[in-house]
Amino acid sequence: MSATCEYQAKDYKSDLKPIWCPGCGDFSVVQGIYRALAAIGRPPHEIAFVSGIGCSSRIPGYTTAYGFNSVHGRSLPIAQGIKLANPDLLVLAAGGDGDGFSIGGGHIAHLIRRNMDITYIVMDNQIYGLTKGQLSPTSQKGRTTCTSRYGSLEEPVNPLLYVLAYGAGFVAQASPTDLAGMAATIEEAIRYPGFAFVNIQSPCVTYGEEAQQIKGLKAISENLTALGHNPADRLAAMDLAQHYGQKLHLGVFYRNPEPAPTYDGLVRERQALLSKDAPPAENILDLFIKK
Amino acid sequence: MRKDLVFGMAGSGGDGIVSAGDSLLQAAAAEGYHGVMTKSFGSQIRGGESSCRVRISTTPILNPGGNLDVAVALNWDDFLKFGAELPVSGNTVVIYEAATKILEADIPLVGVTPLQVIAVPIAEMAKATAGTERAKNTVVLGLIAGWFGIGAVAVMKGIRKKLAKKGEELVDANQRAFDAGRAFAMEHPLKVSMNVAASATKGQVKLITDGNDMCAAAAIFAGCRFFGGYPITPSTEVMQFFTDHVWKYNGAVLQAEDEIAGIGAAVGASFAGTKAMTATSGPGLSLKSEMMGLASIAELPLVIVDVQRGGPSTGLPTKTEQSDLFAAAFSAHGDVIRPVLAPTSVADTFRITIEAFNIAEYYQTPVIVLSDQEIASRKETLDPIDTSQFKIINRVVPTGTDLVDYKRFKQTDNHISPISHPGMLGGTYLASGIEHVESGAPTNSGSVHQRMNDKRTKKFDPLKERKDLFEVTGNPDAPIAILAWGSVAGVCREALEMAQAEGINVKLMVPYLLYPVAEGIYNEFFRSVQRGLIVEQTHLAQTFKLLRMHIDLPKGVQSLARSGANPFLPTDIVEALHRLLSELQRSHEGQLQPQE
Repeated sequence: MSATCEYQAKDYKSDLKPIWCPGCGDFSVVQGIYRALAAIGRPPHEIAFVSGIGCSSRIPGYTTAYGFNSVHGRSLPIAQGIKLANPDLLVLAAGGDGDGFSIGGGHIAHLIRRNMDITYIVMDNQIYGLTKGQLSPTSQKGRTTCTSRYGSLEEPVNPLLYVLAYGAGFVAQASPTDLAGMAATIEEAIRYPGFAFVNIQSPCVTYGEEAQQIKGLKAISENLTALGHNPADRLAAMDLAQHYGQKLHLGVFYRNPEPAPTYDGLVRERQALLSKDAPPAENILDLFIKK
Repeated sequence: MRKDLVFGMAGSGGDGIVSAGDSLLQAAAAEGYHGVMTKSFGSQIRGGESSCRVRISTTPILNPGGNLDVAVALNWDDFLKFGAELPVSGNTVVIYEAATKILEADIPLVGVTPLQVIAVPIAEMAKATAGTERAKNTVVLGLIAGWFGIGAVAVMKGIRKKLAKKGEELVDANQRAFDAGRAFAMEHPLKVSMNVAASATKGQVKLITDGNDMCAAAAIFAGCRFFGGYPITPSTEVMQFFTDHVWKYNGAVLQAEDEIAGIGAAVGASFAGTKAMTATSGPGLSLKSEMMGLASIAELPLVIVDVQRGGPSTGLPTKTEQSDLFAAAFSAHGDVIRPVLAPTSVADTFRITIEAFNIAEYYQTPVIVLSDQEIASRKETLDPIDTSQFKIINRVVPTGTDLVDYKRFKQTDNHISPISHPGMLGGTYLASGIEHVESGAPTNSGSVHQRMNDKRTKKFDPLKERKDLFEVTGNPDAPIAILAWGSVAGVCREALEMAQAEGINVKLMVPYLLYPVAEGIYNEFFRSVQRGLIVEQTHLAQTFKLLRMHIDLPKGVQSLARSGANPFLPTDIVEALHRLLSELQRSHEGQLQPQE
């Protein structure tokens, strides 16, 4: 487990130069992650940081943790394999809205129901940036992009309602409009003992719409604590989450006051129970002996 | 006295025909015989037709056998649905349910006159003795004990053990049904006695298991401690075995939400430093292919078991085929080599699965084990395996100076770089599906891509020299050759013995390593060959084509390929060899006579 020495944000910053466009919201997100990790103080080599494909999925490489920039949409299955193989690790997953809610959209529900102790950060910018500006699952209906010249015909996914509905134990939203708040939210998510989801409204300066840039986001942002929201109230959280797209609520929507047991914890218990009197693996063929 | 008997039985799902096969196999093992049992079903969830073949022998068995010596039909509709899987010949004794009201002279087997046909009131005897038709399978076991001398004591001993918890009454009912069957057989002796000789190894310990369980057990033996997968016929039992046992060794299983997540979790576990595995069948292999590419470029050890069934798509989910060869060898996009291994029996599934882990760990690569429905679901009796002879290889990890300015993908003499894992101080790196420089940092450079492709392919050169992954039997200088892999290999081994007994100068190669194609080893094998057969259960002759892609096969080497669910019999192979032999004799005007 972790050494007791103190870490600073810069200890989590790698030498790789981000490929992001100048002004990209993801620069702030990675800063927020450095700060959160420093506050938690786990040494970088005890952290596994997994992503899929997309602009934001480059993020593990910009940290000094063990990174895994995998394939499109599959950060969560990989993260779960890591967690089950070594539950002592701090496991983070990150990616964009397309990675998490379109191509990989089938995985999040199952991670939520397994409640593994993994923190998932989605950098939501309502657009496919790496492929240069196509509709994403969180793009507004009617939006014109290079794959929707006449306007999108479909409703966007609401990531907050999605994870709340599946029963995630920790659901929060952050934005580069409030870096300190973002760092604190990510830290709280990581500290939550179970699956934690943070949706970060991270503007795309190249393909994003005017209203989704920092200025526009600031104009619609409201702090959940200031609103007097009780994060133990799941139904109130779902009520607030319905305003996704119109309002930018920042902070913790829901935090299960009685966190459920984690899958990785239950696996450990089962291993402890069943390994007690197990015959050695070298003798496994004895199972097939017929007298 | 016979040394070998092949039984084939078919009935409706509820007839307990497979459970009778299990009892017969276990009784045979208890009496020291070698045995192989295969099962085949319709694709109905419950009910429908089901069948099994049980081959029992006083000597080790190479395959489930050809034509049936004994056919048991509880009803003809179900029996006939299995077609070539239950072939009846002029040497077959046919036993069938008299309640079918079909006369012995009128049984619906076209173009064949069996050795003897016997109608037995099986259901009636079950009802009369056990009070229920559900004891039909026990009556059948009694008939077999009476007519063929197998299991007179051991069958009931097994049934007694199996039903012990269900009460003495049920055991007694079964005993009466069994005795009735046996008495019927005694009262109606066969025209030609078909008793099997006693086994010389009676009393020795035997193992019984199937290919899927053996595969999973071998994986755990090899140190695999993570399984990620998704249920799919006919591979699911691999995952089931893990869920029963791997926790005991501090391992874990994830039954994932889909095939992709199953292999994804296994990739993650391997990245975290744990030996990991997934298992699937055809459609699942297609779904997993992107992750296999990721594991290849990230150089992560991983074993993927593909239990082949008839394809494409859903195809024939409960029948065997070898048509995933191309899909395994070329399983994902990009220039990449992923080793493909294939066991040929339940027994060697142990060795081949361990070998797959050793190759995966040593070369830091995904390895595909191409099993098939027949091997996966067939049960074999096995002599105890001396497991101390198996060496377990673990991935090379960085130590000491490796960890100063650690480079995960460092170029080395053998192209294999020490691999760290999360938790290891000094070993942090970025694993990725994107091309990377030695440190792991992403790159777009063409020259780096060329170098890294070199690294990732040249590292396999020593694998292509592994003669121990090829079995060659027969005269090494023979002008006639057979080549077969997987479950078809066993048929060809028996065909080889039959051909040799006829004096045909022939040899057989069974490759356990299918990919990369070991050009040197094949070229050496084919040097003496003027006529040959590549035998496989694929429609497109995939093995033949894969070999031709890599080596110049002698002109006289032909393909003997057929679609799955159309099993080869040893006699099919011998017939084809006769054809080759006469071709050879014609072309050489007597220069190459068959040799003793």
